[in-house]
Amino acid sequence: MHWVAAIKASVHAKLLAGYLLVTLLVIGMGAMSLQTIAKMSSQGKLLDEAHERVHWSQDIQHALAMQMNFTAMALLMRSEAAVENILRENNRFNNTLARLETAAQPEEVELIQRIRTAQGEALTTVADIANLIRDGKVEDAMRLQQNKQYPLYRHIEEFVTQLVGREQGKMDRLRASVAAANRNTLILMAISAATLMLVALLLGFIISWSFILPVQKAHGFLSEVAKGNFAATINVPNRDEFGALAAHMNHMSQELHRLYESQHQASQELQRLNEQLQQASKAKSNFLANMSHELRTPMNAILGFVEMMLDEIYGEVPSHLREPLTDVQTNGKHLLRLINDVLDLSKIEAGRMELVLAEYSVQDVVETVRTSLQSLALEKGLDFVAAAEDDIPLALGDGKRITQCLMNLVGNALKFSKHGRVALWVEQQGENLLYRVSDTGIGIPKEELENIFGEFQQVDTAITREFSGTGLGLNITKKFVEMHGGRIWVESELGKGSAFFFTIPLRMNHGEVT
Amino acid sequence: MSDKTVLYVEDNEFNLKMVRQLLARTTYRLIEATDGEMGVATALEEVPDLILMDIQLPKMSGLEATRRLRADPKTAAIPIIVITSFALSGDDQKAKDAGATAYMAKPYSPRELLQTIRNLLPEQ
Repeated sequence: MHWVAAIKASVHAKLLAGYLLVTLLVIGMGAMSLQTIAKMSSQGKLLDEAHERVHWSQDIQHALAMQMNFTAMALLMRSEAAVENILRENNRFNNTLARLETAAQPEEVELIQRIRTAQGEALTTVADIANLIRDGKVEDAMRLQQNKQYPLYRHIEEFVTQLVGREQGKMDRLRASVAAANRNTLILMAISAATLMLVALLLGFIISWSFILPVQKAHGFLSEVAKGNFAATINVPNRDEFGALAAHMNHMSQELHRLYESQHQASQELQRLNEQLQQASKAKSNFLANMSHELRTPMNAILGFVEMMLDEIYGEVPSHLREPLTDVQTNGKHLLRLINDVLDLSKIEAGRMELVLAEYSVQDVVETVRTSLQSLALEKGLDFVAAAEDDIPLALGDGKRITQCLMNLVGNALKFSKHGRVALWVEQQGENLLYRVSDTGIGIPKEELENIFGEFQQVDTAITREFSGTGLGLNITKKFVEMHGGRIWVESELGKGSAFFFTIPLRMNHGEVT
Repeated sequence: MSDKTVLYVEDNEFNLKMVRQLLARTTYRLIEATDGEMGVATALEEVPDLILMDIQLPKMSGLEATRRLRADPKTAAIPIIVITSFALSGDDQKAKDAGATAYMAKPYSPRELLQTIRNLLPEQ
């Protein structure tokens, strides 16, 4: 098989060669059969000849018997005419003997000579007997017949019997040899057929396995590659199409291996970068958290001193200084809000923000928001309503964070509305609370609705300046709502106003804290 | 004329100065400490009537100092106002757990601080 596989020829050529070999063997066997048939027919002819010669020798025997018979009749009827019949039989005898003599073997020829000589002598005796009968000397003729002719004929008969025996023997031997030859031919034919079949089967086996083996190896190889073992190689002795295929497969495996390695390297590189990024992000968050804390201490002094000045702890504040002092206070508070938002966000992103779950009253939360922001609404001349359904039971969650969320949403609503009305409404919907903050402000363009909850997103940077937001409030609100297992969304119409909604579970399970 | 003593433990000189000036117009007498260890030592020594304790201090945190003062019979009953930096997410609870009587988030309003002090420790 390996030897066949290693032959440098195409699969097609190998198959053709195999079939050709089988075909040649069939042709050879056919020729041999034809030859055998011809030989058998010639042997049949020989057998026919031998049979004929036996027949002839029996004819001679018969003619001899007839001669003796006619002699006896001539003597009995005392008529010499009967003797002529003997002459006629003699002719048949001689003719047949002559036929036998052609193509006879030497010892047969000798025997035939003897028979002919004896027959000649017998005929002379027959003539003498005929003469004696004609002369009426029947008794002499009978004596001659008894004493000479009969022994002569017995003598001839002995020779003829020998001849018949010989011919019979020859025929029997020929028949036996023909039978043996036929048997041998049969055996030879059977052996040839068996050999032919064996060769055909062997060729089929070898050629097919020289193809099947590489296919099986390819199967195993591909399974290995599929399992990710790119080190696998396929090694076949074939130098045909299968050999070329195997070489391609090895090349493919190497390429895959190379690709896999580079992919692996790239992914490791990415992972390393990702880790670096995560570390950097964590460092950034830590830095921000620390910075925010460090910022609070001087903020405390700034706001504290300004408040004490405005409270006239240091004495009366001249009227022209009151306004700049109030400006310092307003901006200081805004800066503080920014710091708070940055701190919250960095804590959320560093994964260090945790909800503090406790029971809280939704009404209290709404009231806190209302009292905190009422003055702002009043200042802007806005109609501000904040209320909740009366029969909402105690909620479980981080009430401070929910308050913070509402402060952000209502604060925004107040900021972005120049006139009209801002409303906060809370209602219970089954197991959930639905918060709604609506305004009659500038509204949000459709394309911005999706981004509105992202970091540092405000509809327009000019608006940021005008309304002095941090841009972090909505993002923080969304994160707190989601930490409560809730959902926030917005509906808005440009120029007419917006409505922010969020739902959170009325009572959070402690296990739900994310 | 009472001279009720308030101890302020705080490492930032401007905040110290601010409270010093805030209380200057009151009858409270202010004593100061600038780190946690010093705060505990001063409190045990002077036994003030009220303590303002910043949460983040050098050497020993405000929470730890509060716990130590609560553990000592001499100071166990003194009202302590803990001033937290992280007003949010659990700092209040930590302050309460450490034994704070009240807590205020930083930045605090001097007005509100004074009100809280007065509530816990009336001037007269």
